[in-house]
Amino acid sequence: MSELDLGFMGEVANTPRGRGILLCIQCGRCSSSCPVARLTSEHNPRRLMEMIILGVKKEVLPTQLPWYCLSCFTCLDRCPQGGDVGEVMFAIRNLAVRQGNLPAGVAAQAKSLYETTRVINPVRSTLEKRESLGLSKITTDGLEEVQKILKKTGMEKIVQSR
Amino acid sequence: MKYAFFLGCLIPARELSYEVSVRKVLPELGIELVDMKGANCCAPFSIQSVDYASWMALAARNLCLAEEMGLDIMTLCNDCYESLLMVNTILKKNPELKDQVNEILSGVGKEFKGKVDVKNLVDVLYGDVGVSKVKSAIKEPISGLRVGTQPGCHLTKPKRIHFELLRGFNELDELVQATGAESVPYERKEMCCGGPLRDINDDLSRQVSREKLIALKNAEVQAVVTVCPFCFLQLDLGQLEVKRHFNEEYNLPVTHFIELLRMGMGMKLEDWEVKAHRIPITSIFKDRL
Repeated sequence: MSELDLGFMGEVANTPRGRGILLCIQCGRCSSSCPVARLTSEHNPRRLMEMIILGVKKEVLPTQLPWYCLSCFTCLDRCPQGGDVGEVMFAIRNLAVRQGNLPAGVAAQAKSLYETTRVINPVRSTLEKRESLGLSKITTDGLEEVQKILKKTGMEKIVQSR
Repeated sequence: MKYAFFLGCLIPARELSYEVSVRKVLPELGIELVDMKGANCCAPFSIQSVDYASWMALAARNLCLAEEMGLDIMTLCNDCYESLLMVNTILKKNPELKDQVNEILSGVGKEFKGKVDVKNLVDVLYGDVGVSKVKSAIKEPISGLRVGTQPGCHLTKPKRIHFELLRGFNELDELVQATGAESVPYERKEMCCGGPLRDINDDLSRQVSREKLIALKNAEVQAVVTVCPFCFLQLDLGQLEVKRHFNEEYNLPVTHFIELLRMGMGMKLEDWEVKAHRIPITSIFKDRL
């Protein structure tokens, strides 16, 4: 039996997107409608909700489990409880990130956003192509404001700690 | 009609052919697009996974820019669309949260007031231009082409947000039919393209795309029509990746809906735009290119 944290469900429920955990009745409709769960047994939304309810925090937050969801929102439409499983995924990912658990791809996008206001930027040849087609210039006009916002929300620290 | 044009990150960086077709076609249909100066990334799902307050504030900043322009927003990307739509909807309904977000925005001299709406390309073509006007703009109908549409998840899900906007699942199909092409139903149409797991779990991302491609092939479609740039990337470039990893070839040409419309309106695609498709589209569109 692994170490339990009985406050885990409350912690999730008290985040802005995690409220739905309180409505979960473990019916499994999320798992049966999830396109990822059909392809791998690693991802099972019902079981993940159960782990939160039971307080198996250490087997969730530092692991891959928060990062299998596509956010396709099929489960949001299908949950008979309105339990918003796909929203709870954001809640646990936010908590996982605070423990330093975020995939390199996500960290790179966050860094790019903080440094350039965009998660993806055009390469030089694309910039030249844009100019030759007379398309609008790609600027960083909003950068100062974006950085101020991210300093205030604390995301700057997450970006810089990587 | 006039819109604040929210271009996002992916399209100006990777899918210029999408942008160019939109800028060419929409004015012909009476839609004026005004670029949003100083806009930032919408804060897509990847960023929302990092931090909630940052999502709210970054999306709200974009909404403030549109409010300053006095225009509703039009997006092309489903990820941009869902992010801005959700934040706009949530903040309009929740004064307490709005105050908290405005407290963050006050540091950069902005205030979210909730004065604009967020729309996507399908909304604008279906709702503002209308199917009949689209139909009458077609000079060279795309007759006889069997098409599988990929509206993408965040045009329709979660339904409790989109249903209020009276948007179902068929608008894109009606628009496709208006061009003269036939929209063919297929299994797994509502299924995700796999794009959101790209760069996070590439193996699973490809497997999801493969399921979709199998279903499209089973329905014997000749082409796939997308509106979301992520779906386009995932189903077009994705076919090469599926080929590499599963040794399976689907050879399904993928086009942005706006390109299909443009060809139907009799405007030819340029050579570089044709080449922006990894799976060649020349065999099915031949003399339209």
